[in-house]
Amino acid sequence: MTDRARTRERKAAGISILVALQALACAFFLADLVGDVLVDGFGLHLAVEAMAALALLVAVVLGALRVRGLIADARRDAAAVAVAQGALAELIRLRFAEWQLTAAEADVALFALKGCDIAEIARLRGSAAGTVRAQLARVYAKAGIDSQSGLIALFLEELIGLPAA
Amino acid sequence: MTATTANRRRWDPIVRITHWSVAIAVLANAVITEEGSGPHIWVGYALAAILALRLLWGLVGPPEARFSAFWPSPRKALGHLREIRAGKRTAHASHNPLGALMVYAIWGTLLTIIATGIAMAGPPPWDGAERGEGRHVAVAPGHAGERGEDGGEREDGEEGEEGEEGPLGEIHETAANLLYLLILLHLAGVIFETRRNGRQVLVAMAPIGR
Ligand code: HEM
Ligand code: HEM
Repeated sequence: MTDRARTRERKAAGISILVALQALACAFFLADLVGDVLVDGFGLHLAVEAMAALALLVAVVLGALRVRGLIADARRDAAAVAVAQGALAELIRLRFAEWQLTAAEADVALFALKGCDIAEIARLRGSAAGTVRAQLARVYAKAGIDSQSGLIALFLEELIGLPAA
Repeated sequence: MTATTANRRRWDPIVRITHWSVAIAVLANAVITEEGSGPHIWVGYALAAILALRLLWGLVGPPEARFSAFWPSPRKALGHLREIRAGKRTAHASHNPLGALMVYAIWGTLLTIIATGIAMAGPPPWDGAERGEGRHVAVAPGHAGERGEDGGEREDGEEGEEGEEGPLGEIHETAANLLYLLILLHLAGVIFETRRNGRQVLVAMAPIGR
C-alpha cells in the first residue's frame, strides 16, 4: 500500500470515528428532546434544541457520505495505479524485446528506469561499475537515445499519451 | 469477506467501528450493567445510535457494505451450504449468503431489543427507577438487589403501571436470549469460515492494523 493510500485510509477512519460520536450525541439529544417535549410541551427553547439535533443528524449523513467519497477515491486511485502498472510493465517488456536486449542488459535497463545510478546498479547486480557502464551504453545505443533521462522519457512520453484509466 | 482481487480487502472503517461498538455494547448490557439500570439504558441508547449508523451505511456506504450486496436469500444460502459440502470455495465481496442471513437475524433481534428497551425506558432522565410510578424515585439498593436475584421470572409486573411493561420486558428478555444464541452461532460461523478461508476473514474485520 502506498503512503498516500495509507494517509487516506487513516483520514477515513478518523472521520468515521467522528461520525460515530456524532451519531451517539444525536441519539441522546433526540431522546432528551422527546423527554422534554413530553414534560414541557413544545416551546421556543425546544424548537432550538430540535434544530440542533436535526443539524447533528444532517452532519452524520454528510459525514457518512464524505467517508464514502474517500473510500471511492482510494479505490479509484488503487485501480488506476494497477492499470498503469500493468500497462507500463507490458510496455517495458515490448520495448526491451523490440530492442533485442540481452537478459543482463534488460536487467540493467530496468534499474536505470527506476532511477538507479551506475554505482547502485553495480552494487545491486554484484558486478563492476565498468561492466554496467558498458551494458548501459549498449542499451542506449539499441534504444537510440544517449542518456538515462532519455530512457525514462521514452516510456513516460508514451504513458502520458495513454487515455486515462 | 473474501479477497476477490489480489490485494487483501478489508471492511471499511464504518463497518468495523459499528461492529465492535455493537459487540462491546451487547457484551456490556449482557454481563456488566444491571438490567434496567441507568447505565443499561445509556448503553442501550448508544447501541441504538450505532446500529442506526450501520443501517444508514447499508444505504449509502460502499458497494460491499450495502444491503444490496448481501440481500437475504435462502436459495443462495442453500447454495452456499452445497458448496461447503462439495468443498468448493467462491469469493464473496460482501458477507457470504449464510453469513448474510445471520447478519439480518442479529440486526432484527437487536432492533427488537432496542424497541422494547426504549419503550420501557422512555426518554431521559434514566435513573434506573424509570419503570412505572417509580420513575422519579431514586432506585433503592434493596430493589436493585431483588431484581438481580429473581432473574427471569419477575413479579414486579404487578406494581403500578408496570402491568403494561410486563410483555415488553418478556419480549426484551426473550430477544436477548435469542441474541446470545445468534452470537454463539455467529462466532461458530466466523471460526468455521476462518478455518475454511484463512485468517483473512478475521483480518478484514479487525478494528486496527492492515
Ligand atoms: C443487546 C443489548 C441488551 C441486552 C442483552 C439486554 C438485556 C436485558 C435483560 C436480560 C433484561 C432483564 C429483562 C427482564 O428480566 O425482564 C433487561 C432489562 C431491561 N433493559 Fe435491556 N438489554 C439490552 C438492550 C437494551 C436497550 C437497547 C434498552 C433501552 C434503550 C434496554 C432497556 C432495558 C430496560 C428498561 C430493562 C428493564 C425491564 C424490566 O425490568 O422488565 N435494554 N435487558
Ligand atoms: C456481541 C457480539 C457480536 C455481535 C452482535 C456481532 C454482530 C455482527 C454483525 C451484525 C456483523 C455484520 C457486520 C456488518 O455488515 O455490519 C458481523 C460480522 C462479523 N463479525 Fe461479528 N459480532 C459479534 C462479535 C464478534 C466477534 C467476537 C468476532 C471475532 C472473533 C466477530 C467477527 C466478525 C467477522 C469476522 C464478521 C465479518 C463476517 C463476514 O466476513 O461476512 N464478531 N458481526
